[in-house]
Amino acid sequence: MPMRTRLGSALLALVAGTAIPATASAGDIVWARYGDIDTLDPHRATSTLSLQVWSLIYDTLLATDKDGKPVPNLAESWEASPDGTEYTFKLHEGAVCHDGTPLDANDVKYTVDRAFDETNPSVTKASWGPIEKVEVVDPTTVKFTLEKPFVALIPFLADSFSSIICNSNEGKDGFGTSVAIGSGPWKFASWTKGDQIVLEKNPDYKNFGKLADNPGAPYEDRLLITTVPEPQARLAGLKTGAIDVAEPPLDDVAMLKESGDLDVVTAENTGQNVFFEFAVHRPPFDDVRARQAVAYATDPEAAISLIYGDLSMPEQCPISRGVFGNDQEFCAKHRPQYDPEKATELLGEMGYAPDKPLEVNLLVWTGGKRDKLAEVFQAQLAAVGIKADIQMMDIGTMNARVRQENENPEGKGSMDMMTWSWYDPDILYALWHSPGAYRGYTSPELDAMLEKTRVLTDQDERRKAVEDVMAHLLEKAIHVPLYTPGWEWVFAVRPEVEGFKVAPFVYPIFSDVKIADKD
Amino acid sequence: MLRFLGQRAAMGLLTIFVTTIAVTLLIHLVPGDPVEIMYAQSQGTTPEQIEAMRSSLGLDQPIPVQYLHFVGRLLQGDLGVTIRGQQSVAQLLLQRLPNTLALAALAMAIATLIGMPLGFLAAYKRGTLLDGVLMVTAIAGISIPHFWLGLLLLFWLAVDLGILPVAGSGPLNIVLPALTLGLSNAAIVARMTRSAMIDVMSQDFIRTAHAKGLPKSRVLRRHVLRAGLVPVVTVMGLQFAFMMGGAIVVENIFAWNGIGRLALEAIFQRDYPVIQGFILVFATTVVVVMLALDAVYALLDPRIRRS
Repeated sequence: MPMRTRLGSALLALVAGTAIPATASAGDIVWARYGDIDTLDPHRATSTLSLQVWSLIYDTLLATDKDGKPVPNLAESWEASPDGTEYTFKLHEGAVCHDGTPLDANDVKYTVDRAFDETNPSVTKASWGPIEKVEVVDPTTVKFTLEKPFVALIPFLADSFSSIICNSNEGKDGFGTSVAIGSGPWKFASWTKGDQIVLEKNPDYKNFGKLADNPGAPYEDRLLITTVPEPQARLAGLKTGAIDVAEPPLDDVAMLKESGDLDVVTAENTGQNVFFEFAVHRPPFDDVRARQAVAYATDPEAAISLIYGDLSMPEQCPISRGVFGNDQEFCAKHRPQYDPEKATELLGEMGYAPDKPLEVNLLVWTGGKRDKLAEVFQAQLAAVGIKADIQMMDIGTMNARVRQENENPEGKGSMDMMTWSWYDPDILYALWHSPGAYRGYTSPELDAMLEKTRVLTDQDERRKAVEDVMAHLLEKAIHVPLYTPGWEWVFAVRPEVEGFKVAPFVYPIFSDVKIADKD
Repeated sequence: MLRFLGQRAAMGLLTIFVTTIAVTLLIHLVPGDPVEIMYAQSQGTTPEQIEAMRSSLGLDQPIPVQYLHFVGRLLQGDLGVTIRGQQSVAQLLLQRLPNTLALAALAMAIATLIGMPLGFLAAYKRGTLLDGVLMVTAIAGISIPHFWLGLLLLFWLAVDLGILPVAGSGPLNIVLPALTLGLSNAAIVARMTRSAMIDVMSQDFIRTAHAKGLPKSRVLRRHVLRAGLVPVVTVMGLQFAFMMGGAIVVENIFAWNGIGRLALEAIFQRDYPVIQGFILVFATTVVVVMLALDAVYALLDPRIRRS
């Protein structure tokens, strides 16, 4: 039949015309993730998926140690003026951009000026703080001047949001999609959106402070970062050896650990915080007793060990482990601890009883077995007479819904299991300073406390200010911390892959990776 | 014939137009704002900056105005840029469309090569055990969801037997997604072929053909097959559209870098320009395929081109 022949030849032409990207060979590390980066331009996105890749291509002035504390990196030292408005950074000599030009104070100035560009500023401009100007004192000295003190600048400079962009990128067509000149351990080679990013080792790399044992260039030649959305397909790839490192399906982790076919690495100090929050502008959660009842009624420890085993852990603070100010003991004193009787008592005071339960909606973000976890919480709440109706939704919908619920003065009570991550307690400012990230709880008293956390340069004083904020949020049960980490923090690794580790705030490191004998 | 195709083409254009309007309205009904989703879950952007970004993207304008902007740009051949990462939407779609078309075409070929002969056989052996077995298998094939069949094939062919690659976009990577999509559609094609053939076999002209002494093989080939193919071809057009949709699921399982996956990501990120561009391309592809099938249909059945 002529029709079939024509179809056949069209088909052949199509298949032949399909791009055939680089396939893995010896000396390649293949890292599969559920999604792709948005851009290679560190000033145009905020997703973890993007940040993880920037951290491999670009370097930062400071780095974080394994506990999440900022340490010297490209900058060998720094000094703050007593009033906290001037920071002077002394740069290491010998850092080189991928195009061979030396990395010096001019590149730092270029990066900051670009972030504050009049017409097209960085999408995270606000995180740099109120920077007035950046001056090149000499090639290895750079001075930042701030309008007013902003202490979150230092941890920010250790995060890949502040990736130093070499000034040789200036005016290059395709910066962010086909060009990305940094000075990190891996050089950008190519990016096929939705498919894979190819990085090559930077033979000139010097590790000044990043969390890797390797002082120089990575051991393996290339790093292929591929996108494989389906967890079972990632697992299949790990099993066949097509993939070296990937997040496995969470349900299979226990089995993988037991069988020993793959190693399981979990990220620590991720800064991720999963918590309950409430629509506080209407009943019942405008009443502190209702919020406290939820906190007393739920036992995160039991729920987490049931669903995640030892992969995750309870978190007492509104900012998670690895973030400045986190103190489990302090927070545990202020956060209502599991006590179902107390919950029943508070509900009784409000006029609820087992035959007249409090009915609320519980909004939950899909994925990561959070549906199962929510069911455990639902059962715990039911035990004290709170009937929670679970509503699963994607994160975009949930963000919009939470805000709508806060802005809506009427309707059924609403609470949600929210998830945020950041490397500094300044996250609490974003969440709870007026008008509030979701237009939820705010108060002038809390605003004043939050403002203090931004300007106190003395570490002890700042710690005290952060503690005041946390105590306020915990006692009023505004932000009820549940657990950490909560998403994309588990990595399954092929047994022949050695040296893979994950730095705080979920930055995987590949500089130390050696692949024994890949077939 | 030309008038017939002209009418069909006009209908096609109208379909595309209505689809883009419907989708523009629908995506705005889904709660969530692309700019907010982009910055959710981590701090760093001030509310003023979010507002500025929204107005620079035109998201602060009423939906009809946004739609007019979209159409206005479209008439200049511009599909806009993605909200995330600010890349050209047209370029992204063009990069990925061939992958999906190749996948759907190969799946279609598999579905046809398996489904048609089996359906024909079942019709010929109507009422026998073979017919029963074939049709039960077909129903099972229709009922199995793509993602389930896909995972079964993945673990069997890629992990246990190790004869096909797991995921990605190498030349052999198309086999697993095409097989998944093709097998479940083969079941539909088989059922359609069977009922169309049975229908034709019971008609008078076939009885006449037999009665005038034509050899059986000639009756089957010249008369039954030719007349019976017309409805099957129509269904195959619908199948192709259906397959483009099914490709969204299958592409996601096998990380096949097609347009369906792009759309799925865009929906989660509320990347409106990408969603609109995708729908436009998707609707156009389906309309073009339907049109091509109408032409084939007319060629196969003289009554249509004369009407």
